[in-house]
Amino acid sequence: MFYYSIGNSKTGFIKDQVRLNPFIVKTKMPSRELDIQDLKISFSTPRGKLTAVNGISFHLNQGETLALVGESGCGKTVSALSILRLLPEPPAEILSGKILFSGQNLLSLNAKALQNLRGRSISMIFQDPMTSLNPVLTIGEQMAETLLRHTPMSRPEALQKSADLLGKVEIPSPKEKLKHYPHQLSGGMRQRVMIAMALACSPRVLIADEPTTALDVLIQAQILELLGNLKRETGMSILIITHDLGVVAEIAQRVLIMYAGEIVESGPAQALLDDPRHPYTRGLIASVPKLGALKKTGTRLEEIPGNVPSLDQRPSGCAFHPRCNWAIEKCKTQKPPLREGEGQRQWRCHLEPGSL
Amino acid sequence: MNKGKGPALLEVRDLKKHFLPRKRFLQEQAPPVRAVDGISFTLQAGETLGLVGESGCGKSTAARTLLRLIEPTSGQISFCGKNLTDIPETEMRALRREMQIIFQDPYSSVNPARRIGRILQEPFEIHGFQNKKEKTEKAAQLLERVGLPPEHFNRYPHELSGGQLQRVGIARAIALNPKLVVADEPVSALDVSIQAQIINLLSDLKEQLDISYLFISHDMGVVEYFCDRVAVMYFGKIVELANSEQIYNSPQHPYTTALLNAIPNLESGRIKQEAPIKGDIPDPGNPPQGCAFQSRCPLKEKQCAEEIPALKEIAPGHYAACFLKQ
Ligand SMILES: Nc1ncnc2c1ncn2[C@@H]1O[C@H](COP(=O)(O)OP(=O)(O)OP(=O)(O)O)[C@@H](O)[C@H]1O
Ligand SMILES: Nc1ncnc2c1ncn2[C@@H]1O[C@H](COP(=O)(O)OP(=O)(O)OP(=O)(O)O)[C@@H](O)[C@H]1O
Ligand SMILES: [Mg+2]
Ligand SMILES: [Mg+2]
Repeated sequence: MFYYSIGNSKTGFIKDQVRLNPFIVKTKMPSRELDIQDLKISFSTPRGKLTAVNGISFHLNQGETLALVGESGCGKTVSALSILRLLPEPPAEILSGKILFSGQNLLSLNAKALQNLRGRSISMIFQDPMTSLNPVLTIGEQMAETLLRHTPMSRPEALQKSADLLGKVEIPSPKEKLKHYPHQLSGGMRQRVMIAMALACSPRVLIADEPTTALDVLIQAQILELLGNLKRETGMSILIITHDLGVVAEIAQRVLIMYAGEIVESGPAQALLDDPRHPYTRGLIASVPKLGALKKTGTRLEEIPGNVPSLDQRPSGCAFHPRCNWAIEKCKTQKPPLREGEGQRQWRCHLEPGSL
Repeated sequence: MNKGKGPALLEVRDLKKHFLPRKRFLQEQAPPVRAVDGISFTLQAGETLGLVGESGCGKSTAARTLLRLIEPTSGQISFCGKNLTDIPETEMRALRREMQIIFQDPYSSVNPARRIGRILQEPFEIHGFQNKKEKTEKAAQLLERVGLPPEHFNRYPHELSGGQLQRVGIARAIALNPKLVVADEPVSALDVSIQAQIINLLSDLKEQLDISYLFISHDMGVVEYFCDRVAVMYFGKIVELANSEQIYNSPQHPYTTALLNAIPNLESGRIKQEAPIKGDIPDPGNPPQGCAFQSRCPLKEKQCAEEIPALKEIAPGHYAACFLKQ
């Protein structure tokens, strides 16, 4: 039994709403699959030790889809990779924090235990499919290898299962594709191969780093539906990194907004999108081109002025203040407090609620 | 398709690119993959043409082929009045300066062993700028222009995030003030606020430098905002071509309609009107007889399984390849 569910089609969603008992939703605390506490990650560079992730805390509930959104370079991928200890250490270093998976701190596991976890209990879809697929092995060889590592089966069985998985992610003539090398597939197909590989061992937690960025909206809708179905069938939890707020609206129950290595806002997806509390979140939502709205009136897209601060130049006080229209004096020097609002809303800002 | 504003900047006629799978020992030669299977369109100077369509339908292949980064199987490409398919390599090299590409995948399009500053000097080097100070200055300007902090000059690609690196790709493409920029999903890897900056930047460059774009994207919102005309591709062919108002307000091909219906919407993401269409995507190595979209088409009729519909003008400037609309 899970307490949240998703569906892309109208019918799917409404059905689930009915099926859920609102009483249970309100009273039973969902169990936490992942609980990340005060995670701090730095990189050693020629310019010194730079903090990429600055003490973030969040959790992923069982059966939930949680979206992680934020500016390019804010540390989303680094945070995600650290969960499975996939960062190159050094230069990366986890300075502090805990990553609890079913109560166990992943940061204190040895290499072998981690290896067992990867791909089986927690699986990851990487942001860049080309660098994570081996260019000299065929798709079939790579997929079969993943399957064989975690599940006892014969090679022909592994190949058959690989073909089935490719079919599930809507790749045409999957048997043929097994013989292809990565460069022979289109960008979107490579991304779907990665998705198929991540789903191979029915993981409990799926970490998906921009899983649909290279896909057309139609395939994207199908993949999101597939993830939704898998989630319903297996109770899988999903941490999805995306910059597509439409996707967030469609599949996530909760959202984390990250800026310059910190989580600046979090809350239930629809509420957060309808009524952003942090100026950065507001800017993000405003810069999405709305269908039909801006039509050729010569208007520019709304943009957040200024640049992403690089790691060694992160501003003091609130890291967003140099780009913030509402910044006041104390934003320059003091860390903003964590504010809490009704319905699990949290954000970090000096401004009084309602000032935006 | 020519708007009649004088000669087109780019004119593509019946362009094809077929890939022949490698023959395996003792096996019959597999049929070719018809990645791009006869597309025709024109692009006027100063115009932005959007190219959208299914993942794997041949958009990137079309882009690479028309810049002759890979050799076309057949067809004509004329750029600035010159036929690219039969000019010597020396002349082609000079023309390359006028036509640039921004790639979909930022990591595989830069040399990982070079610093960003060096990568940004490459275009100047290839085209004969020698003065070291000038090159460095120009590279630094480019970096600023695409919104990257100056410290990135001395970094290596792996030290940048995906989005940061894509900006480097954009900077490199605009370095030599080209006439045509083929942008193959240039903003897919960028978050929305940076995406807006880059789209605004591309618009500014278009105004200032008279650049024309072939803009490949699957973000239907961005395409509507940024493109004057839109070509919708499916399975190696253009199935609909019209100005963006026509495409978005009165789509004629059922595939276009399906695409528009699948756009995730910020406000009403959860109350999508229709479920995504079902059905198998055809195999490029074994194309169906008749219309390639028939396996997923909700409006399929008998004729669709027998003949391939041609792209025909069904309203002024609005082309569609569907029997039901012709
Ligand atoms: N190996 C590394 N060495 C030094 N710095 C690094 C390294 N890997 C990442 N960084 C830095 O850490 C920061 C966070 O990078 P990360 O890849 O997590 O960004 P992101 O939020 O995923 O961005 P995007 O949306 O562009 O993918 C960036 O400033 C990046 O330059
Ligand atoms: N070098 C190659 N050898 C064989 N087949 C290829 C090669 N390059 C591309 N293809 C095939 O050609 C078709 C078109 O690929 P292309 O990369 O042009 O698609 P695309 O429209 O850009 O897709 P995406 O939106 O996913 O990037 C695909 O079926 C792909 O597998
Ligand atoms: Mg990333
Ligand atoms: Mg492509």
